[in-house]
Amino acid sequence: MRPAAGVAAALTCALALAGCGGSDDTDSPGTGPSAQQQQGELVIWADDKRSAALQPFAEKFGRENGVTVKVQAISKDQQTTFVTASQQGSGPDVMVGAHDWIGNLVQNGAVDPVQLSADQTAGLNPNALKAVTFNGQTYGVPYAMENLALIRNTDLAPKAPATIEELVAEAGKAKTPEKLCLQVGQNGDAYHLYPLYSSAGGYLFGTSADGDYDPKDLGVGRPESVAAFKKIATLGEKGSGALKRSITPENSIATFTSKKCAFLVSGPWAITDVKKANIKYDISAVPGFQGGQPARPFLGVQTFYVASKGKNKALAQEFVTNYVTTPELAVALYQAEPRPPALTAAFDQVKGKDADLEKFVAAGKDGRPLPAVPEMAAIWDPFGKAEAAVVGGADPATTITAAGRTIAAAIK
Amino acid sequence: MTATKLGGPVTQARPAPEPERRGGSPAAILLKATLLGLAIAIAVWAAFPLIENEKWTGLAILVATTAGLLYLYLTPRHIPLKYLAPGTVLLVLFQVFPVLYTASTAFTNFGDGHRGSKQEAVVAIQTASVTQVPGSQQYALRIATTGDPATGPLVFLITDPATRQVSAGDAGGLTAVPGTDAAAAGYTVLTAGQASLRSTEITAFAVPTAGGAIRSSGLSRAYEGKAGRAYDEGCDCIRDTTTGRTWTADESVGAFVGADGDRLAQGWKVAVGLGNFTRVLTDPAIAGPFLRTLVWNFAFAIASTGGTFVLGLLLAMALHSDRVRGRTAYRILLVLPYAMPSFAMLLVWRDMFNTDFGLVNELFGSDVDWFGGSTSARLAVILVQLWLGYPYMFLVATGALQAIPRELSEASRIDGASAWGGFRRIVLPLLMVALTPLLISSFAFNFNNFNAIYLTTEGAPFPADNPANGATDLLITYTYRIAFGGGGAQYGYAAAISIFIFLIVAVVSAISFRRTRRLEEVHS
Amino acid sequence: MTRWLREVGWRHLVGVVVLAFAMVPIVFVVSAAINPLGTLSSSELVPTGASLGNFTRLFADTGFGRWFVNSIVVAAVSALASVFISALAAYAFSRRRFRGRRVGLLAVLLIQMFPQFLAIVAIFLIFSTVTDLWPAIGFNTWWGLILLYLGGALGVNTWLMKGFFDTLPRELDESATMDGASHAQVFFRILLPLVAPILAVTALLAFIGTINEFLIANVFLTDAGSKTLPVGLYGLVAGERNANFGMFCAGTLLTAIPTVLVFQLLQRYITDGLTAGAVKG
Repeated sequence: MRPAAGVAAALTCALALAGCGGSDDTDSPGTGPSAQQQQGELVIWADDKRSAALQPFAEKFGRENGVTVKVQAISKDQQTTFVTASQQGSGPDVMVGAHDWIGNLVQNGAVDPVQLSADQTAGLNPNALKAVTFNGQTYGVPYAMENLALIRNTDLAPKAPATIEELVAEAGKAKTPEKLCLQVGQNGDAYHLYPLYSSAGGYLFGTSADGDYDPKDLGVGRPESVAAFKKIATLGEKGSGALKRSITPENSIATFTSKKCAFLVSGPWAITDVKKANIKYDISAVPGFQGGQPARPFLGVQTFYVASKGKNKALAQEFVTNYVTTPELAVALYQAEPRPPALTAAFDQVKGKDADLEKFVAAGKDGRPLPAVPEMAAIWDPFGKAEAAVVGGADPATTITAAGRTIAAAIK
Repeated sequence: MTATKLGGPVTQARPAPEPERRGGSPAAILLKATLLGLAIAIAVWAAFPLIENEKWTGLAILVATTAGLLYLYLTPRHIPLKYLAPGTVLLVLFQVFPVLYTASTAFTNFGDGHRGSKQEAVVAIQTASVTQVPGSQQYALRIATTGDPATGPLVFLITDPATRQVSAGDAGGLTAVPGTDAAAAGYTVLTAGQASLRSTEITAFAVPTAGGAIRSSGLSRAYEGKAGRAYDEGCDCIRDTTTGRTWTADESVGAFVGADGDRLAQGWKVAVGLGNFTRVLTDPAIAGPFLRTLVWNFAFAIASTGGTFVLGLLLAMALHSDRVRGRTAYRILLVLPYAMPSFAMLLVWRDMFNTDFGLVNELFGSDVDWFGGSTSARLAVILVQLWLGYPYMFLVATGALQAIPRELSEASRIDGASAWGGFRRIVLPLLMVALTPLLISSFAFNFNNFNAIYLTTEGAPFPADNPANGATDLLITYTYRIAFGGGGAQYGYAAAISIFIFLIVAVVSAISFRRTRRLEEVHS
Repeated sequence: MTRWLREVGWRHLVGVVVLAFAMVPIVFVVSAAINPLGTLSSSELVPTGASLGNFTRLFADTGFGRWFVNSIVVAAVSALASVFISALAAYAFSRRRFRGRRVGLLAVLLIQMFPQFLAIVAIFLIFSTVTDLWPAIGFNTWWGLILLYLGGALGVNTWLMKGFFDTLPRELDESATMDGASHAQVFFRILLPLVAPILAVTALLAFIGTINEFLIANVFLTDAGSKTLPVGLYGLVAGERNANFGMFCAGTLLTAIPTVLVFQLLQRYITDGLTAGAVKG
């Protein structure tokens, strides 16, 4: 006979129909089909860092309520993965992510609004609450806030500069190899440039009467943006050299911690590294141009969302609206990563031990919530590239006008 | 004979010495019966969930596939198919199906805002419009039942925060419960664990009130809410319950459109015919830099494939001699670039090309803005490809050289041919027989090598007046940016572009493939 | 001496030059792995200090051991199975003449060329159903991922092996068939041993391809316990490349170890020319 054929048949059936499953998987990480029969299950997705911080609290929630809670880490493209998985019915019940996803999540029907009580909303930082409000609905429970600030090495630069011009002069005196660690990279970084851009008079989207962003009023490519980029060009590689494409997201913090520059524009996430490098530092607002408008960093808010297509929505709502809103969890998440908690009670609890928190909040005083409208997706890439080109010495007017054209075409 | 070990279970399958027509040894027959039996057992295992969930089509496919395979391996006919079936089944499931699925979306508007069905869009719009009734309050909630906790009819026991009055709510409305003791009134309160098993029912549960309906917010709180927008089947539109404004369904765009042309964000997936294809052909952002990008794309794929092949072959030949000491050490170290996770090494290389902090400039004492100039950026990405890819070609060429009988090349030497001449006339042609298909597929892989660009230059440098198309952009990175960069992911459009790219690379490969017929017949 | 140079010396020269090219980025990674302050900004090849802290932290603070086991199992099983499936198909394509052979070959090649923009969507589509019906082979399982990888078994590797089958003289199997051997005997007892080098190469390539695979594994494996090395390692640097870069480099180096061991194991098939005598047939 043909033993080979027999082997092949078995392999085919085994692989195609069952993947060797059933009989021989003693150590498979998969769960048996019966595991979920007795207990409700809540699945939470977050990035790696937050899922680690959430784990003990999720377990506690599970124990207290007699349910199974699984925290799973999504390492890359969290938003797209969440939307795609949800649509096909493999998504989580609760998603943790940035508030500027809301516009896209809503248009895909991926998240449900949450109904908070008056007491609960009163306990939240008003800016954070505003950030998660979209078309008049609250789409998630914020737990931490973040914004850019100027972190300086006080050994090299004792005084906080009031303007960017002053900063450049100070940096010159400090004689560091780099003047300013503000990440630009080969293709620019709109988020980190925005404080300077806004100080120079530029804007991305205008605001409608009720204070929401209006995607129909695009500021990129307008005369204001040309003027702003002309000012930014003076800081570029052909200008004072404060902005350089060789400062990238990967190396900006490390360049600062190795004392190659005295000033770093970054957020609360940078502090862990700065402390580890034993650098004496202070935090102040990102300075604007002399005589310009205040520099307005973006405010970002980390949020718990209830997934629309989750399998256990009632439990997800219970977790997000009634458990996340307790200070205990907010404090623990703060300890995992030092960002100012959005819950006022939690913020008050930790601010005594951590002076940096209030400084970051003060630096974000003039900030604006990161636009959550889906149209914002069209801004990042062309705007960043225009920044990189202008920093490298390209003509500001043609560059930003072309970027404006590209964005307008994408939004249409 | 040792080699058969590589095939795993093959070693157990010692063929019987007798010719096949006279039947096999008892052991071989037993083995075959066992394996076929195992296959049936697995099919049965797979069938149960299908029956349980009443997936009759799936069950039919399973039965047909199993029967087909049993027939195939029991009949003496269809010999080639016996060898092709295992791979083909897997290929169809996990490669052909995704490709067909992609191709089919090219005719739809599938993308952000248009992912699901119309029904899903309606649900999303209504859910998103539910707000608390102005002036209403939130209640403490207990989920209860009058029957069995797992199946009994649900009742919401809500407590008014001001009066402490407990009411029981169901589809008929609210009724006051005397006292505060639920058990006394005949209700069983569900634990959170029990309630969580009935999540779907609880989420859908609404107790009608004068101003709207009381719904749950989690398992312990309830609120009085009202949907601001509702779907009206009569006009196939969404109506705002307060203002009376309507948005009518437009099946050609998959969205509810208002009188002034304004669309609701939640749309649905509809067929758009050839719309995506005409858009590819007419979009100036694609058509404009297309030719330039195509030329570079070919240059990149050819340079990556050719460069790695030449370097890999050169190395394989250099180490293909018993007289080279330390060959093992050489080989292990030379294969290392391939052993490291490539995404990690692409990121490392990207940092090594940094103008001010990069290792490349540091080592050579240069000050080149690598990713800032078109030529240097292109050189850099090809260099990275060379580094990542040569070990593959080295391994394959080493294997190929080993498989060529040494007598052949030695024979030519005795005939007086020079070493190089012998190599060129005898060894190289044989090598090409084995390696040409590989070069074609390597070319195709590099033609669409998304990561090579996306994790290094991201297409940079970009001309100041066009942030959409950079000097190192391949067609695939460039179109990725167009399809996913602005206004969310446009899968339908991306699929249409994929089909065009596929046609280009498929035509090139098919032409090269025709030329391999000649090579293939070298021994016949 | 000149003769040595001409016959052996150039071989060392080529080897050393390429080795230098190959090793620079790797030394950079090694340096970052043993540098206690390992960050990505350092452009030094020589670390400022040396410690194994990154390695110990990797095992203490992360699920590295678990990722390692997952990766090895997934990569080893799919490499073996895919070599076997490929070899079967390559035999049919090389030795058998049947209708649709050239078309089949071309189709196998062309399918791999389709841009994978939507692969992720399709994977969710398939495996959402599979997970509901058969959780044992659904998301977060070894078997599901292995199956998915085996979808590509009939691909480039098939071509590679078919090319090698083509180089073997046809007279070999013809004479065996004359002697009464079945097609299975020809395949397993005569042809397979002769292509041992390429089986080993293919196994190695498949092993490396699988152990380094990231994009699919990243969406397929979300449970902390089921992750593979690339997914876990990427998680270390996602968002915050600097802080964990040293650990990441340490992990990257350790990831290369199984590959090197497999290479070492298969080396004698690849390079020792065991089959040289047999080819005479």
